[in-house]
Amino acid sequence: MSETIRRVATDVGGTFTDLVAFETRADGTMEIVTAKSDTTPPDFENGVLNVLKKGGIDPETVTFMAHGTTVVINALTERKGVKVGLITTEGFRDVLEIARGNRPDFFNLHYEKPAPFVPRHLRAELPGRITYQGQERTPLDTSGLPAILDGFRAEGVEAVAVCLLHAYADTSHEEAVLAEVRRLWPEVSVVASHQITREWREYERTNTTVLSAYVQPVAARYLGKLDAALKAQGLPKSPYIMQSNCGVDSLEATSAVPINMVESGPASGFWGAAELGKLIGEPNILALDIGGTTAKCSLIEGGEVRIMTDYWIERSRKSAGYPIMVPVVDLVEIGNGGGSIAWVDDFGKLHVGPQSAGALPGPAAYGKGGDNATTTDANLWLGRINRDYFCGGEVEAHMDAAEAALTAVGEKLGVSTDEAAQGIVRIANNNMVNALKLVSLNRGHDTRDFTLLAFGGGGAMHAVALGQELQVKKVVVPAAAAVFSAFGMMMSDLRRDTFVTQLVDLEEGAGALIEATFAEAETQARATFEAEGVDPARVDFLRYGKFRYQNQEHTTEVQLEGEVTDAALEKIAADFHEAYEREYTYRLDAPVEMVGVHLVARAEVGKLEMKPAEIGPADASGASKGRREVDYALEGKHEADIYDGTKLAPGMKFTGPAIIEDPGTTIVIHPGNRVEIDAYRNVHIHLGDAA
Amino acid sequence: MSADADPITLEIIQNSLQSAADEMFAAMRKTAMSSIIYEVLDMGTGITDAEGRIASSGAGIPAFIGVLDKSVQFILKKFDADDIRPGDVFITNDPWHGGVTHLNDLVLAMPVFADGAIIAWTANIAHNSDVGGMAPGSLSGEATEIWQEGLRLPAVKVIREGVTDDAVIDIITTNSRMPDFLKGDVWAAIASVRVGARRLQGLAAKYGTGTFLKAMDHFMDFGERAARAELAQLPHGTFELSEEQDDGRVFNVKVTISADEFLVDLRDNPDQDTGPTNACKDGTMICAQMVFKSLTGSDSPANDGSFRPLRVLTREGSIFDAREGSAIGFYFETEVRVYDLIWRCLARHIPERLPAGHFSSICGTFIGGIHPDTGRQYTIIEPQIGGWGAWEGRDGNPCIFSGFHGETYNTPAEISEARNGLFVDRMALNTAPGGEGQWNGGRGLVLEYRIRTENGFLTAGYTRSRIKPWPLEGGEEGSGNFVEVIKADGSEETYSFVSGLALTTDDVVRVITSSGAGYGDPKQRDRDAVRRDIEAGLITEERAREVHGL
Repeated sequence: MSETIRRVATDVGGTFTDLVAFETRADGTMEIVTAKSDTTPPDFENGVLNVLKKGGIDPETVTFMAHGTTVVINALTERKGVKVGLITTEGFRDVLEIARGNRPDFFNLHYEKPAPFVPRHLRAELPGRITYQGQERTPLDTSGLPAILDGFRAEGVEAVAVCLLHAYADTSHEEAVLAEVRRLWPEVSVVASHQITREWREYERTNTTVLSAYVQPVAARYLGKLDAALKAQGLPKSPYIMQSNCGVDSLEATSAVPINMVESGPASGFWGAAELGKLIGEPNILALDIGGTTAKCSLIEGGEVRIMTDYWIERSRKSAGYPIMVPVVDLVEIGNGGGSIAWVDDFGKLHVGPQSAGALPGPAAYGKGGDNATTTDANLWLGRINRDYFCGGEVEAHMDAAEAALTAVGEKLGVSTDEAAQGIVRIANNNMVNALKLVSLNRGHDTRDFTLLAFGGGGAMHAVALGQELQVKKVVVPAAAAVFSAFGMMMSDLRRDTFVTQLVDLEEGAGALIEATFAEAETQARATFEAEGVDPARVDFLRYGKFRYQNQEHTTEVQLEGEVTDAALEKIAADFHEAYEREYTYRLDAPVEMVGVHLVARAEVGKLEMKPAEIGPADASGASKGRREVDYALEGKHEADIYDGTKLAPGMKFTGPAIIEDPGTTIVIHPGNRVEIDAYRNVHIHLGDAA
Repeated sequence: MSADADPITLEIIQNSLQSAADEMFAAMRKTAMSSIIYEVLDMGTGITDAEGRIASSGAGIPAFIGVLDKSVQFILKKFDADDIRPGDVFITNDPWHGGVTHLNDLVLAMPVFADGAIIAWTANIAHNSDVGGMAPGSLSGEATEIWQEGLRLPAVKVIREGVTDDAVIDIITTNSRMPDFLKGDVWAAIASVRVGARRLQGLAAKYGTGTFLKAMDHFMDFGERAARAELAQLPHGTFELSEEQDDGRVFNVKVTISADEFLVDLRDNPDQDTGPTNACKDGTMICAQMVFKSLTGSDSPANDGSFRPLRVLTREGSIFDAREGSAIGFYFETEVRVYDLIWRCLARHIPERLPAGHFSSICGTFIGGIHPDTGRQYTIIEPQIGGWGAWEGRDGNPCIFSGFHGETYNTPAEISEARNGLFVDRMALNTAPGGEGQWNGGRGLVLEYRIRTENGFLTAGYTRSRIKPWPLEGGEEGSGNFVEVIKADGSEETYSFVSGLALTTDDVVRVITSSGAGYGDPKQRDRDAVRRDIEAGLITEERAREVHGL
């Protein structure tokens, strides 16, 4: 028993808290446990303890625990953070309110610019200037700080954000302010921009620092309570916390800079997709995660996810939103999920989303009073979802309500109920195809080289139609697709992404400067890990440079192998030209410059290794549940074979038209598709002749 | 095709036209070399049908949406049908050759072929840093004819059936003071129109050319229906306004709204100028299109159909319809005036759709010189942000771009200091009195550039300096736009139009933009709101007593 390794991941969502546990026994066999219980605001740790109990997991026996939470994104979007005071450079306190001045909804003369998170009277200034080259132009003067902090105290400020001009180039002024704030007001939560990012653009960096301060006390309280509750139940070691960069980080580091977990939910799923891709020999993956209100997609090439720092919340065609300059997995998100509402505008045009029926009232078929037709209602009506096995049989499908809602849509369009349902599915699919194109074709990738991996509650329902349109290699739906994010968490390394702005012309002498920039970042990362008790020998690094043609702004990231010397510059430039041409169709005979470095520091912390099962017979009749008529929209109605997903075993094969029903998801297999179950119980779908 | 031409297929093609235009925009933005393109996003992309009618546009500048159709229509007029070949790319920048704006704005357009015929065009417009002419940056307040404003490209092929015409590229780059930038930007534009063309060909192949063409037609008809439905809701009648300008001239507009037409009559206006502030007829049309679009629904698509109910009358030889050969470099300040004139004319009659006046100037600011650290030439070319007017129930927005610009971004101080080798001493809200009301106008900007080397220059052209943003329902007017230059010796000058002013080390250029105008009697402003304004330092107690009666 003592040799059993028990890894647990818990994921706190808006409605449910999910659990996935993998037990690897001494003899190498594995067992997977999943469980679900209600999320319990405001004492979220209770939901976590409940789900552990429900899954039969004794915290004392857990070897490794990973935890994902939406606490940060929720605090931001629900405006439930704390009152923040900002300290910035003299002459620049209004940067946070000026923002970038853009008007995305440009014909709308009643556009409303997003309000800053810190009002003007809580934005204070200190004299002192650093240049863009990191030299001191005017010494820092902190003599005004006591009065500023007195003012903050009087106003009930709970967190202080410090962001000074050009702090990415030299951190000394920010460090001095930070030390002084801590000395003068030891109890207050305080964060400085250089602790989060070393990249330029003062508005983006200031806003990032402010939002981090805004959520810090909330997140620290949450993580502290969680840790205490788990430890009280005997958990030997604090849980690792999922981050937006597809890694996990320690609970302590996360408490200090919680903003790094802002997009941790999608990140764990995309990381899972990358890891699963490696496992099944498909390093090039188009990953698609369809939930209740949104669909998210990301491209994984050569097994590597792409991490960027231009992330925004609440940004749309209608609003400029708020930038958060932290490492986030490169993803495109659209308002299209199972609960997305179909509606007809004043001119008889059909739209799907971005409004969602949510969990309450939910789709019309929930029978909870929702009278809007959703994507889920259309899928039910078309027979794609089994009306007698709705939500794994836990919910009765109110088909009369679904019919009424779909018929209403059809009447506005002047078409039948069937055609309305088909139209909803086709529009939803088209929205998702356009999102998938943004991360693939749009960046010079040929989708025929990629496998579409679909997960989340709704991914498998639409995946084949999308894959056929994009002509992908094949479609894979992972085992336990509905809780795939938790699987991703268990596959994650301890990971930190560091971005440092450093302008260097690629000419003689540049090698040493670039190498020094990396070396400094590496030394710092290693020291931080060591201070946290991570064996330095287990830390490895990936180096990326951000390059552009001189005078451009946007950069193309190129991976760098080995030590950077002047001799290596030619190869680096050649790699850049090649990467640039692939993405943008041309190259220039112009000087190349590096704008900054991106260092990935990773340490393996006991992640899961999957073991393949024996491949059994191809005959899948044992999993068959019978047949029913399914409407495939473009391909018309067909009698489809229905399979019970829980009974599918490695090696089984069959062909479409078919439907696989799993408690958490439904996989729609189109006519002509060939299906096989691999040794990890993933469902591989080959698309007709194209495959 | 199992599903040709059903409404859902048409809808899907129409959505894809939008995403293709967006893709073109993204491609241009990421590869351009000039900060005015990639940071300020002074650019636009669009897709037209075979006849050059605009079908969809990439986000960017509203003032660029109505440009590209006119460019394509000119190319179609100039070239014989069999002289437009697959793989061709055309270039123009001249307002009398389909260019519409000024010579800095290069338009690239590419025909898209399917089944041997043109099915659409993809086009792109962007502000290039220098296209020759009498002054660096090509814009000079001294220009009296267009030949002083740069190289005129009268809609010629830069790529013939996929093969680059190096001679054309050579001529363009040789005529620029910044040839490397220009070359990079032109290639970025070519990449952008090619990306769009590829996507459209894919759509036509997938759904069939006939269905594709039908979808475009339907989309425009839809735009027209949406516009007409809103037009029916507007008050019908003739509305007229005469407005004095900063320079003493008086501009006039008459707008006649009826059930099926929105007629803008601009014939009764001054003769064209000897300087570079003339607008051409197409440009004036675009101003009317922008106001019309904002009035008739900002949510529906902006395409050829959306503008069908609109008619604009101008008089050749007037400031809004200048003759060929006129200088037009600063056309935008005149166009933003006519845009604001139409808006103001109607605001009193349609206050639920039109807020009080905004700072309403491009505030075009051009600063150049030698970068002290790199020794390279730098040029700042930037529009400014300012305050917007209030409307009933809400204060105006502080510091956003004018109605002419949209998804446009200001330049961060950190990037400006690195790229241009000057110091940004201050970037703050302008708290000068002005714009108060029951609902206040939003605050304008104070931006200070400190010059670090000798032999620099400043050119600027601001309006709404003397004649300020106009209030509604008893609010206060805005504070006004201008530039102050504080010389190293302490002397101080104020300008609204200045050309080629010499700058040297430690001179400070202080850009000041106006607040938006107020809405409603300032004495009626909520007391708590006034106290919050005071606490925020947006208004002094003294001014609050005076204007709000606190």
